[in-house]
Amino acid sequence: MTFYSPVLTNAKEIAGHDKLHLFEFVEDEKQYQLKRYLKHGGYAAWKTVLGKMKPEEVIEEVKKSGLRGRGGAGFPTGMKWSFVPKDSPKERYLCCNADESEPGTCKDRVLMERDPHVVIEGMAIGAYAIGCHLMFCYIRGEFHHCIERIEKATEEAYSKGHLGKNIYGSGYDLEMIIHTGAGAYMCGEETGLLNSIEGEKGMARIRPPFPAIEGLWECPTIVNNVESLAAVPHIINRGADWYRSMGTEKSAGTKLFSLSGHINRPGNYEVELGFSLQKLIYDSNYGNGISDGKKLKAVIPGGVSTPFLTPDKVDVPLDYESLTEAGSMLGSGGVIVLHEDTCIVWTILKLIKFFRHESCGKCTPCREGTGWLEQIIQKIEDGRGGPDDLEKLDSICGNILGRTICPLGDAAVMPIQSTLKDWRDEWLYHIEHKKCLVKQDFGF
Amino acid sequence: MSEVVKEKITAVDTVTCTIDGQQITVPRGTSVFDAAGQIGIVIPAFCNHAKLKPVGACRMCYVEIEKMPKLQVSCATMATDGMVVSTNSQQVREGRKAVIEFTLINHPLDCPTCDKGGECDLQDLTFDHGYDDSRFGFDKMRFIEEEKRDTFDDLKIGPEIVLNRNRCILCYKCVRANKEAFGEYDIGAFERGDLTEINATPGGEVSNPFSGNLVEICPVGALTNSDWRYKIRVWLTKTVPSICNFSGSGTNITFYKEDHKNFVYRVTSRCNDAIDDGWLSDITRYGYQIVNSESRLKTPLIKKGGKQVKASWDEALAVIKKHMGQIKDQSGGVCIGGLISPSLDNASLYSFSKLFRTVFKSNNIDFRGDYRYLPSVTDSLFTIAASQPFSISDIEKSDVIITFGTDLIREHHNEYLKIRRAVNFYNSTVYSVNPYAVKTADIAKSEMVYSPGTDELVINGICLVAIEKKLVNSSAAAKLKSKISKLSPGVLAKLTGLSKEQFEELAEAISSAKKVTFIVGEIVARSLDRDKICAALSNLNKLFGVQDKGQLAVLSRYANSKGAQKLGLSATPYEIVKDELKKIWGEYPDCQPRNTDAMINLMKKEEIKGFITVGANPMRLYPDRSFASEGLEHVDFLVACDMFETETTELADVVLPLCSWAEYDGDYINLEGKVQTGKQAIKPKYESKAAFEIMELIARQLGAKLFENEQVKNEEIEKLLKLDSVLPWPDDFLKIEYEKKSSQDGYPVPLFICDDPHHSGHLTEKSPSLLNFSDSAYVELSKGLAAKIGVADGDPLRVESPVGKIVVPAKISPVLNSDVAIIPRNFSSTQTTSLLMRKKRVDSVKLTRVEE
Ligand SMILES: Cc1cc2nc3c(=O)[nH]c(=O)nc-3n(C[C@H](O)[C@H](O)[C@H](O)COP(=O)(O)O)c2cc1C
Ligand code: SF4
Ligand code: SF4
Ligand code: FES
Repeated sequence: MTFYSPVLTNAKEIAGHDKLHLFEFVEDEKQYQLKRYLKHGGYAAWKTVLGKMKPEEVIEEVKKSGLRGRGGAGFPTGMKWSFVPKDSPKERYLCCNADESEPGTCKDRVLMERDPHVVIEGMAIGAYAIGCHLMFCYIRGEFHHCIERIEKATEEAYSKGHLGKNIYGSGYDLEMIIHTGAGAYMCGEETGLLNSIEGEKGMARIRPPFPAIEGLWECPTIVNNVESLAAVPHIINRGADWYRSMGTEKSAGTKLFSLSGHINRPGNYEVELGFSLQKLIYDSNYGNGISDGKKLKAVIPGGVSTPFLTPDKVDVPLDYESLTEAGSMLGSGGVIVLHEDTCIVWTILKLIKFFRHESCGKCTPCREGTGWLEQIIQKIEDGRGGPDDLEKLDSICGNILGRTICPLGDAAVMPIQSTLKDWRDEWLYHIEHKKCLVKQDFGF
Repeated sequence: MSEVVKEKITAVDTVTCTIDGQQITVPRGTSVFDAAGQIGIVIPAFCNHAKLKPVGACRMCYVEIEKMPKLQVSCATMATDGMVVSTNSQQVREGRKAVIEFTLINHPLDCPTCDKGGECDLQDLTFDHGYDDSRFGFDKMRFIEEEKRDTFDDLKIGPEIVLNRNRCILCYKCVRANKEAFGEYDIGAFERGDLTEINATPGGEVSNPFSGNLVEICPVGALTNSDWRYKIRVWLTKTVPSICNFSGSGTNITFYKEDHKNFVYRVTSRCNDAIDDGWLSDITRYGYQIVNSESRLKTPLIKKGGKQVKASWDEALAVIKKHMGQIKDQSGGVCIGGLISPSLDNASLYSFSKLFRTVFKSNNIDFRGDYRYLPSVTDSLFTIAASQPFSISDIEKSDVIITFGTDLIREHHNEYLKIRRAVNFYNSTVYSVNPYAVKTADIAKSEMVYSPGTDELVINGICLVAIEKKLVNSSAAAKLKSKISKLSPGVLAKLTGLSKEQFEELAEAISSAKKVTFIVGEIVARSLDRDKICAALSNLNKLFGVQDKGQLAVLSRYANSKGAQKLGLSATPYEIVKDELKKIWGEYPDCQPRNTDAMINLMKKEEIKGFITVGANPMRLYPDRSFASEGLEHVDFLVACDMFETETTELADVVLPLCSWAEYDGDYINLEGKVQTGKQAIKPKYESKAAFEIMELIARQLGAKLFENEQVKNEEIEKLLKLDSVLPWPDDFLKIEYEKKSSQDGYPVPLFICDDPHHSGHLTEKSPSLLNFSDSAYVELSKGLAAKIGVADGDPLRVESPVGKIVVPAKISPVLNSDVAIIPRNFSSTQTTSLLMRKKRVDSVKLTRVEE
């Protein structure tokens, strides 16, 4: 096997495409090597930046491009960079968030394995923009292959002078440290990630202060997702206007979607923002329909932290605004498709088990609430549910939502709340009949 | 600055917000929680702590803020201009209720058997804000660890601390305080989510010198200590405000006492921001146990046929009358001397001085029994340096802090913590400059370890480099240069083991600082050449104008060292004190003043025949045991007052039981010169008496009277305390002679005898809790030195000096990195001061493995 992770991508469609770019070379077996990367125009943006651009100009360009964070929250990247205090005498740090742990999301991994240099180049440009001389790449510990590829690529970059001292004779020094995680979802949350790098437990920190003001070791720090950073060299090379020309007014550019679940062609697809979810699921170039010819029951559009969509809402453009309007979120782009045989209660039980297990334990509502929720949902799943359990779930979810330190608490309850609303009959059936409304047959 | 500009600055620096309808203006950066507190609105909270950074973990302190849809945690939300806050809206009340509900679902609710009952935040807040009954229908999570199980859920995680993880509400205050305030990492949070547990670090125990605070700040009964648990319910005790008796800082404490049993049950903090921030060292917290000790001296003892036997006060006083009267009449009062502990209160110290100077008409008194070879002049440079003003709260206001010749964690716990706070909360920069590596240095920007015995050369090096680099006023520079330039910075670097760059770094730091704190400690105070070092400090102070922009002082070590100095307890008091005494008493002995050293010498010559010690134990603490014992054994008539039998009382002809500071009202002057009162908590135990009372009894036996009544005594003391006790530095720069001192052949390792981080002086070994932390002597050495000698941690090691020899276990230090040996002086089981020679600048020893 040429690739460590044989994930399907739409690179073929992209070849020669003048817009889609992130996946352009991901089916090239040698793209991970510096030589090939350079042949494909690699590090040109980094050279341009160091040779011709001031940090403010880089920030301005990225701002103009409309690039928004691909880690889940969709915060404008250029604006985040501009929050780093210009006159702070402290060190500044940049962290690439490569902890990709959101169930349903596996796009950063493809980039790191198959095109690691573009991640490094994006990080370098981001670092320069904020005046950082030491950057970190925080990689999920289970991603052995990503770690290997990024390590190798970093070595190559150092040896050919793309990193290190006095890069390209510009006088700019930039070092990079690869930090691997130890199996905590929370370490992908930006402040958990910072604690982890500092050698502390991977627990969230309260904001403010935001990391851009006080992050690693109380110094200004920028945390960006792999995909966000990987887009940056392209923006520099082809210009903010080009990037803006893709996607929608408020959601510019392209986005990687990881399609999984009851789907005929699971895989990673790069599409312009605003692309139809319906098309992503059914088009033969993408999902090619629901597996086993079944009917669609629900879609989780942005990783398991986002509310479920009912089938009638699936005809929605994949951009930040439209999904919010539809009652869910774009999140990290992990689209999970569930067909008619899926039990909602069972699915939610799986999710709450995950969130309970991954709650860092710092704040009371999430720490105690997720465990309580799990026990109630387990009870319902086991056919021991009581008449007041749904109200209890409503109330506990309400007591967690918006009351926690980090968004994990919200993430844990939003899917539950959406199903309690849209599939309440199914929950009730479980309680009243002590069994499942649907045939139990799970394919994933 | 014009008024307008000033106004502008204040306008920028404060914000005005509205809380529950009341307007309040607070400094920018104040949390909503604190702002509310300032107008008397108490927001319930578990994880917030005034001296720690907010974490927003418990979520109890929700408030509603206009224009913000979600509830906000007030502890971590800063007040801003125009903010409108409601602390008690419907939404807030519901939010709190939910938090209490979440908090209780896995809490055992074992209040009846929990020792925190009656002072538990969770209990209190549940009553005020919780549900009446539980909606949680499942089994509670339990932590059980079969092998280590103590009583049901209890887990001993340190010498004193017992943990009950089921009761823990994960406010993380213990972990945070340990890290942020104490710089310790022996307690942590492990696992994740609702399995998260607080515990000692794997394989370790919670035993840092501040660990008792964790128990005090735990809002529930998750952390308790063996000192207090299950002994009494809190509501059966009464509290009494007092002062720590084991340090120079005057840390504020509260005694918890019970009157029927006449017993003190515990000590907790009594937060005084200007001094202690509410943190106590374990010595302060557990040291009180000596008060209750069964082994206290219960009655007077008199020597009969070579043995000490129990006696009544009348009998004992009669013996004193007979012998002291005889000495006084036949040989003269100048043949009587005395040594008193600087931990005693003003009244005791002053009565002692008055007894000697007006009844015996002798000038043979001292309060510094553990400093070798002190100079016998009024204004020695050391005395001047020790008299300089110092403010504890200015430490955190200083951008540059230099600790010189001080191992703070063994000398000044409170200042040790203040410095950490300065760094962690106020971005101060610390330089640690010491003859061995110290714990404080983990927060220092630079740690500089110089060769033992070259202290003044380090200071000269800093001065010379500052002159060379033109960092200081040029006319001053020229003047000083002429005095100290015999040795160039390069040579000084070589002699001290530091580098020119390090001198420069310090010179830069001092000269560029806006405000400096320069702390000088016991390593200098105990040095034979303390005057020379203080001369160098005098030069440095003048050259850089340190005191014009900060403070520089030798810190007083004991609870009332400052009081002793102000009241004239040294053989050579300050001139103004002497004059005032003359005025008050109408007399002042004109005989030779003799301090500890001189007195011991005279004992040997049998010129001092009668001697009184009060709370002092020179046999243990004088840094040359054979010198002290030769003297004391020669004394014809020795009276020793103490709380316990000691090496000194053993030699005495009459032993008198002394009260502890918990047994009478007393005033103490801390190292800043602040007078504080320790109130009486319990009645004197057994037949003990306060020192001032004993002094009066002795005076009356001899036909005199110290005070007509208490008021007179207080008035006399007041007069002395009013005097300015800061001595001026010399006007000129001082010459500092360099004498080359060869190290003692065959004894290659410099030795420092100091306090264990869990002990202070000779009394704390009577505290069972403190013994649980550390109960016998050891020799602490670096990993490298241990490897050279071939010993592992705990192996017995023979420590030999030219005059003494002991065998103690080796303790490998995580901090030391050079060849030095550190031995504690706090345990009667090992005569550590027998290794010391009083005329040595640097004691040194030979360390050899004890072959089995
Ligand atoms: C529980 C949790 C897990 C997260 N995990 C990741 C992750 O694995 N990768 C990631 O890029 N962002 C993750 N995020 C989002 C980050 O906190 C952060 O917003 C993001 O890295 C910022 O990068 P961006 O601005 O480029 O999107 C997570 C957030 C939460 C609340
Ligand atoms: S919401 Fe959950 S994961 Fe986030 S800080 Fe609170 S306990 Fe930790
Ligand atoms: S042990 Fe006490 S102080 Fe520590 S986290 Fe638990 S409740 Fe808080
Ligand atoms: S006191 Fe504010 S969150 Fe705990």
